[in-house]
Amino acid sequence: MARAGGITEAVNVGIAVQADWDNREFISQISHNVRALFDFLVKFEATTKSKLASLNEKLDTLERRLELIEVQVGTATANPSLFTP
Amino acid sequence: MEVERPRQDNPAMTLDEASMEQSKSFVKALQELKNLRPQLYSAADYCEKSYLHSEQKQMVLDNLKDYAVRALVNAVDHLGTVAYKLTDLLEQQTLDVSSMELKVSCLDQQLLTCQTFTVKEGLRQQQLLAIIPRHHKHYILPNSVNKKVHFSPHIQTDARQSHIQTRPRLFPAGTPASKTLSWHLASETKSTLKGSRTFTRLVTGTLAYTLIMQLYENAEEGARTKSSAAYLQLSNAGPVSGAAMQTLGGARRDPLDGSKPLTAFRSFDTPTRREVVRTPIRSKSMLSAFFVKQKTLKT
Repeated sequence: MARAGGITEAVNVGIAVQADWDNREFISQISHNVRALFDFLVKFEATTKSKLASLNEKLDTLERRLELIEVQVGTATANPSLFTP
Repeated sequence: MEVERPRQDNPAMTLDEASMEQSKSFVKALQELKNLRPQLYSAADYCEKSYLHSEQKQMVLDNLKDYAVRALVNAVDHLGTVAYKLTDLLEQQTLDVSSMELKVSCLDQQLLTCQTFTVKEGLRQQQLLAIIPRHHKHYILPNSVNKKVHFSPHIQTDARQSHIQTRPRLFPAGTPASKTLSWHLASETKSTLKGSRTFTRLVTGTLAYTLIMQLYENAEEGARTKSSAAYLQLSNAGPVSGAAMQTLGGARRDPLDGSKPLTAFRSFDTPTRREVVRTPIRSKSMLSAFFVKQKTLKT
């Protein structure tokens, strides 16, 4: 009877160990996927930042050119006699 | 016409609407991603409490595992949609900015054309006011010689006396000076070109003649076999040399009678001797015969 109890205890311990190993494997897989998700987010943030910076630069240059055009058109409208033959 | 107007307006509205809908969907996806965080927090608290307080821990653990996997997949899905919509929106914005750059460049070009027009107009108006005088070119040499020296264009070039015609002729004073210098120079270049061709022909002829004379003297000094070999060599060189040899044979005595033979070439063999060097007299008959022979060969 004691032997049967011991065997059952050993079996239970084995099962528990197996379950523990399964849980650890599951946790490692979950953590690995979460790290991959984190890496993707970091890369996505870098690319989006660069795209937004280039867009911002283009808009700045456009603003300056439009300001210049506005000034030139203003001077042209202020002196309409230049364009009359 | 009324039906066309809304159709014309609809494409513009649909573009704005499409951009608005794009931005709306992006904002919505972002909002859903943001809402996912408290849901995950609440699910984690519930699982912790149920594992601690319930008796069937294994079942709770299994449910927790399934929920964790589904939550992760859901979070990845939401992040993917947000990323896709954001990149799509950025691409649309860059396209709009590039189209605006093109329009601005068109405006720049239009302004530049207006500016150039004003500048040109101003220059034209200024040019009309100023009268710039023009001077004709008449160059007359100083009156020290009391003669006007210029080349006559009416010279007839003959084949025989072509080498003489290149000299300038002095005309008496009183000739009309209506011709400009550039015209005279142009006429001179034509005449000099004709003279230069005959001059080159003359030079080549004299060179050939001197070579032939040299070889003849060298052959005369040596044995008859050597001289015949030299003659053969000369004859094989070309038709010009053959013609020269013929003329040499025909008018062989003329240069010899006129002057001493080419003893200068002997001096190269015997440096001790010092003899007078005289160039052979180039008789007209000799040269004319040579040129005639050349012409016959060329024809």
